[in-house]
Amino acid sequence: MKQQLTLVFFISFFVSATIAAQQKADTVTTKEIYGLRVGVDLIKPFISFLEEDTKGLELVGDIRILNNYYAAVELGFEDKVSKEDYMNYTTKGSYIKAGVNYNAYKNWVGMTNEIYIGMRYGFSIFNQTLNSYTPNVKGTYFIPTEVLPNTEFKDLSAHWGELVFGMKAETLKNLYLGFSFSFKKMINTKEPENFKNLYVPGFNRVYLNNTGFGINYTLSYLIPIVKKEK
Amino acid sequence: MRKYLILLFILCFTFINCEKDDICIETTTPKLIVVFYNNDIPATKKAVTSLTVSADTLGNLYENKSLDSIAIPLDLTKNSTFYKFKSGTITDSINFTYDRKDVFVSRSCGYKTIFENFKIESRTANWIKNDTLKNTTIDNETAAHLSIFH
Repeated sequence: MKQQLTLVFFISFFVSATIAAQQKADTVTTKEIYGLRVGVDLIKPFISFLEEDTKGLELVGDIRILNNYYAAVELGFEDKVSKEDYMNYTTKGSYIKAGVNYNAYKNWVGMTNEIYIGMRYGFSIFNQTLNSYTPNVKGTYFIPTEVLPNTEFKDLSAHWGELVFGMKAETLKNLYLGFSFSFKKMINTKEPENFKNLYVPGFNRVYLNNTGFGINYTLSYLIPIVKKEK
Repeated sequence: MRKYLILLFILCFTFINCEKDDICIETTTPKLIVVFYNNDIPATKKAVTSLTVSADTLGNLYENKSLDSIAIPLDLTKNSTFYKFKSGTITDSINFTYDRKDVFVSRSCGYKTIFENFKIESRTANWIKNDTLKNTTIDNETAAHLSIFH
């Protein structure tokens, strides 16, 4: 039994070797583009246009490092006013996200579309300004008045991890439209005193158990650098 | 492998849908809890048979009630609140003074006000015989803050 297995093991080498040899003879060599892809997020300018007290911009970029792996980076800034039931605050700051995408989509020869899963590390530096609040009182016997502290909490920061799911499609030559959805989990934050980081640039709204999510809609252009034979 | 990754991803999103922080469920600005005791037997509570409570210029908070404990709000726009306690036809008034401090609670609740250096600035003694302040900081409603003996 043991002998037989060893035999099968060695035979399999020859079989695979001959298959490989045949494939080499059959394949037509195709060139795959490896390059730098740069783009912009379309949702942020759209929201800036709709809401006058919200400004934001995000630049995206990725570079193909291995056959199915892309190193990706996102850079952005946000200036956003958030209105809650009992308060109003402004978050202003910038962020960077870096990580890797794995393309799980098997393309036809010559096509470079993507359905990918990725991971990111995010870091943001920002300020929070508490514009106004009304002390929360149950009952209406004494009616509280709105307080306008205008307190600015400076030099706050946050680190987080992201799981990204997205797709990219080449719509015109070297021009890609992309959509992605991300799930975020906060690792560490520098919190303001007597306030909380309820919104973090790049992370978006911070939910109770320090999670968050985001949607990106990107338009990007591929700058071809090298063409590798497949 | 790919299928598992996608499954993992879907699972993550089901979790974030479960949590809610839009509704304020935490405790907010505390009220002053007053408990009435028997002046002759200080350990036993004694209800005021016909109690009417009102702040300086506002309407009645309690009207002709028989109660041994009450919860009254404090004014958040100034550092003192003037209350009138009427037992039957006899009125006593108490002027409370304090420092206000706003403490962050949560996204949905915003800020609550807590009261520090809480004290009775002045009090008349018509039906109220004595008083004991349990704490100078009022930041919750879990225990009584003020005992009134009558």
